[in-house]
Amino acid sequence: MTNHWSDLQNTDCALIMGGNPAENHPISFRWLTKAKEKGGKIVSVDPRFTRTSSKADVYASLRSGTDIAFMGGMINYALENNLIHREYVAEYTNASFIVKKDFEFNDGLFSGYDEATRKYDKTKWAFETDEEGNPKKDKTLTHPRSVFQLMRKHFSRYDVDSVIAVTGTPKEDYLKVCETFCSTSKIGKSGTIMYAMGTTQHTVGTQNVRAFGIIQLLLGNIGLPGGGINAMRGESNVQGSTDFALLYHLLPGYVGTPTAIPEHATLEGYNTKETPSGGYWSNKPKFLVSMLKAWYGPNATKANEFGYQYLPKGNKNYSHINLFNAMYKGELEGAFLFGTNPVVGGPNAGKEKEALSNLKWMVAVDLWETETSAFWQEEAGSDPSKIDTEVFLLPAASSYEKEGSVSNSSRWMQYRWKAIDPKGESLADLEIIHMLVKNLKGLYKNESSAAAKPINALYWNFGEGHHPDIDLVAREINGYDLSTGKLLKGFGDLKDDGTTSSGNWIYSGFYPEEGKNRSKNRDNKDTGGGNFLNWAYAWPANRRILYNRASADPSGKPWSDKKAVIWWDESQKKWTGNDIPDFKPTVAPADPGGTNPFIMINGGVAGVYAPTLNDGPFPEHYEPFESPVKNSFSSQEINPAVVIIEGEFNLKGDSKKYPIVGTTYRVSEHWQSGSMTRNQEWLSELAGHMYIEMSEELAKEKGIKNKDKIIVSSARGDIKAYAMVTKRFKPHMMNGKKVHQVGMPWHFGYKGYATGDTANRLTPHIGDANTTIPEYKAFLCDIRRAD
Amino acid sequence: MAEYIKYVDVTKCDGCRACMVACKNWNDLPAEPEEFQGSVQSHANVTANTWNVLSFIEHEDSKGNLDYLFRHSSCFHCSDAACVKVCPEDAMHYTDFGTVDVNSDKCVGCGYCVQNCPFDVVQLATYKDKNGKEYKKAQKCTMCVDRLEEGMQPACVTTCHTDAMEFGTQEEMLKKAEKRLSEIKDKYPNAMIYNPEGVGGTHTIYVLAEKPSVYGLPEKPKVPTSAVVWKDYAQPIGKMMLGATSMALVGAFVSNKLFNKEGKGHEEDGGGSHE
Amino acid sequence: MVEINLNRRQFLKLSGATAATLAVVELGFNEKEVHAQTKELKIAKATVTPTICAFCGVGCGILVHTKDNTVVYTEGDPDSPVNEGTLCSKGTTIRQVFTSEKRLTKPLYRAPGSKKWEEKSWDWMYETIAKRTKETRDKTFIEKENGMFVNKTEAIASLGGAALDNEETYLLAKMMRGLGVVYLEHQARI
Repeated sequence: MTNHWSDLQNTDCALIMGGNPAENHPISFRWLTKAKEKGGKIVSVDPRFTRTSSKADVYASLRSGTDIAFMGGMINYALENNLIHREYVAEYTNASFIVKKDFEFNDGLFSGYDEATRKYDKTKWAFETDEEGNPKKDKTLTHPRSVFQLMRKHFSRYDVDSVIAVTGTPKEDYLKVCETFCSTSKIGKSGTIMYAMGTTQHTVGTQNVRAFGIIQLLLGNIGLPGGGINAMRGESNVQGSTDFALLYHLLPGYVGTPTAIPEHATLEGYNTKETPSGGYWSNKPKFLVSMLKAWYGPNATKANEFGYQYLPKGNKNYSHINLFNAMYKGELEGAFLFGTNPVVGGPNAGKEKEALSNLKWMVAVDLWETETSAFWQEEAGSDPSKIDTEVFLLPAASSYEKEGSVSNSSRWMQYRWKAIDPKGESLADLEIIHMLVKNLKGLYKNESSAAAKPINALYWNFGEGHHPDIDLVAREINGYDLSTGKLLKGFGDLKDDGTTSSGNWIYSGFYPEEGKNRSKNRDNKDTGGGNFLNWAYAWPANRRILYNRASADPSGKPWSDKKAVIWWDESQKKWTGNDIPDFKPTVAPADPGGTNPFIMINGGVAGVYAPTLNDGPFPEHYEPFESPVKNSFSSQEINPAVVIIEGEFNLKGDSKKYPIVGTTYRVSEHWQSGSMTRNQEWLSELAGHMYIEMSEELAKEKGIKNKDKIIVSSARGDIKAYAMVTKRFKPHMMNGKKVHQVGMPWHFGYKGYATGDTANRLTPHIGDANTTIPEYKAFLCDIRRAD
Repeated sequence: MAEYIKYVDVTKCDGCRACMVACKNWNDLPAEPEEFQGSVQSHANVTANTWNVLSFIEHEDSKGNLDYLFRHSSCFHCSDAACVKVCPEDAMHYTDFGTVDVNSDKCVGCGYCVQNCPFDVVQLATYKDKNGKEYKKAQKCTMCVDRLEEGMQPACVTTCHTDAMEFGTQEEMLKKAEKRLSEIKDKYPNAMIYNPEGVGGTHTIYVLAEKPSVYGLPEKPKVPTSAVVWKDYAQPIGKMMLGATSMALVGAFVSNKLFNKEGKGHEEDGGGSHE
Repeated sequence: MVEINLNRRQFLKLSGATAATLAVVELGFNEKEVHAQTKELKIAKATVTPTICAFCGVGCGILVHTKDNTVVYTEGDPDSPVNEGTLCSKGTTIRQVFTSEKRLTKPLYRAPGSKKWEEKSWDWMYETIAKRTKETRDKTFIEKENGMFVNKTEAIASLGGAALDNEETYLLAKMMRGLGVVYLEHQARI
């Protein structure tokens, strides 16, 4: 989230799309209810009329997988009706940049496409630059090759009628959404976009989010209270676990992993290639070297490139989908699973389950026996005698049986204290990880093989006992000035010469001095604007609203007093206000860079044009991998830059055999794969049955009555569930064709108190072109009565 | 002493059902999973171990506009409560807050309260004594009277994140309800305050977005005449005649018909039943 | 330990805006009488510990009431500016994460081809897992590729971690990268 939960109360309009916060992030509605009481509007866009929709002022339906068409139309609506914050756009975005003549767009393809590799040559999308390498600009936004004009041209194809022919949205509803949300372009108004996995779990997921970014920049909504782009995180610490880089392509703090390319052969080479010339990322070498100092301690020296060579360097995409594909092919021997249940939660889950039996060993750390750790059981439909996988199931302590911090969607790092000893023999994951490392280090202690070197060099100094000292871990994350041994005050003090350490630079400063772990802060006095600066700690640097420099005009004055966050105080010669400036506090508006609010980006302005993405600098509508209709925007059916896994792991369904659009979602009472909640009786009681929601029209066509047992099938598998016939799903009419959609919760499996078939046995094994996040949210299926 | 009531503004509720589990959590009530209801609703009705149920209603108005309505349903804590009237053991009683509670020590499980509740909220729970013998006790929402006595609000109210439920003095809550009603009349022309006079007003009052029947509530509930007859005439006479200590014994002789559920029908004028 | 002091008095004060209007004094209750009539309030002698909800990313504050080595009640933390004492159904029920009879309480091992779990000691688990990890790692370790150091194994994967604490995710990332694991993924991707 650029903003935070309680800030939602400041919004004039919340566009909720690709998410259903009333059901999945219920407490957000505490703040949205307050916004409503102050006259704010809620707009809900969803294929199904949800509980969020029921609380909305405006609801519009769309077919799953048509978000770019929907948002592209809104961008066009804003541009055509001049409902944009023009000065903001000209000053704070790259709309004024001139793009080279190489950029082209024809029939769904941007220039530079290579069909054989399904990749773009992104140099074709570059900006024109001056002698110093800075992009050329036209702040009048009239140059025909300015980003602004190219954007206008690109989205001019998204006129209302073309859009609704794809999305199936009733025209009146569509116009109402555009009108309501674009009204936040007015100075003194702000609008927020709230989304979740309904946005990202598509082959065009990244571009779905990009479309949100573009409209929010055009409306001047980023950096403002009640504004921003707010991804609602689904797990208590998925923000933190991402910050700490449990992802193949990242190191802590969003530093990219070095890969097996010649440029990354040395630390210097990596730094040269990966460090931009401007923006805050120009400090990347400081972040990386300080992390290496935290990881390898005294074994990280200038002479050995601070241990850079110890880091593993991969040579391909190792993301979830590819991981399971490799497992399926027998390329993996062992796996560690920390609180995860892919046999329910993974795409094409039936096949992911099969893949597990190719492992030699599996370590599962969990509170419960899950469908995944029990994949070898007869109950799972397996023949145990034929499965040779050794499984180690380690009982983990729950969140309040140990202490530690978690980072919520707002980036607030909040401490959890220990309320009770771990149940039975269960142990905190911290201890389990610590003991595994100690045992491994013990085995390698006297070896000097190639494999032994990196593990022997790993600095592991968290106390002598079985249970590591969590305070030492916290301090290592914050980092030290190694010359004095003192804790660092913040990431501004990091150096690239080995004299500082920090396990994760974005968190540096949360523990600035002895006895001051700021994640433990519990002063809930409102410090202004509802930002609660003394409650917990928000990375980076305790800033609550990112890009808050953009809440003020170029001269440093808030665009509107009603939406003030920070402002330039000439008498004090610094930025001041209700939040920590997300900006160098002493850089005056007239100073170089003084009007560049987007400090992380080289050039300091936001990108309405993104020449770095794999699938194009502007979002473009493509149909999902499986779609009931042809793409009416171009002859490119699916995102031309996605990687298609061929073979039985990703069978594709034909729209003749599977004419219905299927999607998945969550319910309030269950959480993710359900292992936490289906093992609790009160929640299992509230949501105890697997069901498929469908419209009355579809039920009638299929001869299905409410509560009937039905079978849903896709090219990947079949599942059985109850029919829930509802008025809240309606068929979509597109170009005169009626397309049905069904939806279902994906929480169920065969373990726990509440059991049911697993929806993900239906979903395909294909991911987004940039993130490889699977396309769970739009696939084809068919339904029939079970008897 | 001022009377206290729970005010439920269904138009603010977003159906999260925290009130249902907060109730179970505070009152240590067991789960009792029911079969699939054909909607996301978990229980058809409140029961002896599920003291409040969130009902989910898909409602299309006369213009075909769809709304998804939610209602936290639990004991109404009537001012003139049929359950109190018919209870032969004075187990059902009014608390100092004006709410209705069951004294389990006194309850003999006769079920008259169950039969006579105009809202179907009282039910019998079955327990076993140490010899394995089953016995029954009437159970329902207590309005968390143990919390009230400690100056705390009912558990369901405390947990409600949209402030769809509030607890306070009757006067203050009724004022809030009136104000809210005026705010939502434009959006919900059928909106009303549900605080039925036929039972002397209630200690759980609602602002409803639609007519009571849309929520499965009786439009004009009344204390059944039979209950009035029983408590106000038959019971005192019976006690006098028999000198019995347990009126449940007497109750057993009273014709089933007097307490018959079906008999309740004529007490109401119209209105739907819980479905 | 907990760095706040939520004693009973404060807790009551925080329990909701109208608590004051329901003051014991106004109601004329004699405390002794109340206790004589009803059982002791279930959280009266419980220890209160603040935590953050383990479910979605909102990060609501929760108070965990513990007594006699079990969890007797869980409710919203009225101090938290995120949820101001309120919770959803999942957050409210977090008590059962501890009390559920389905919790694993012992390390379990499943041998190749076996139909059942066997209970094992933690030490045995650590030692055996470390041994398996080392065997696989040593066999598949790639020190160099095209002349450059790559120090990786492509035969071990690590999945999950979105419910771990920050400190745990940090150690997990450090451990896995330290081992040369490149198949490092978790729920943020799915």
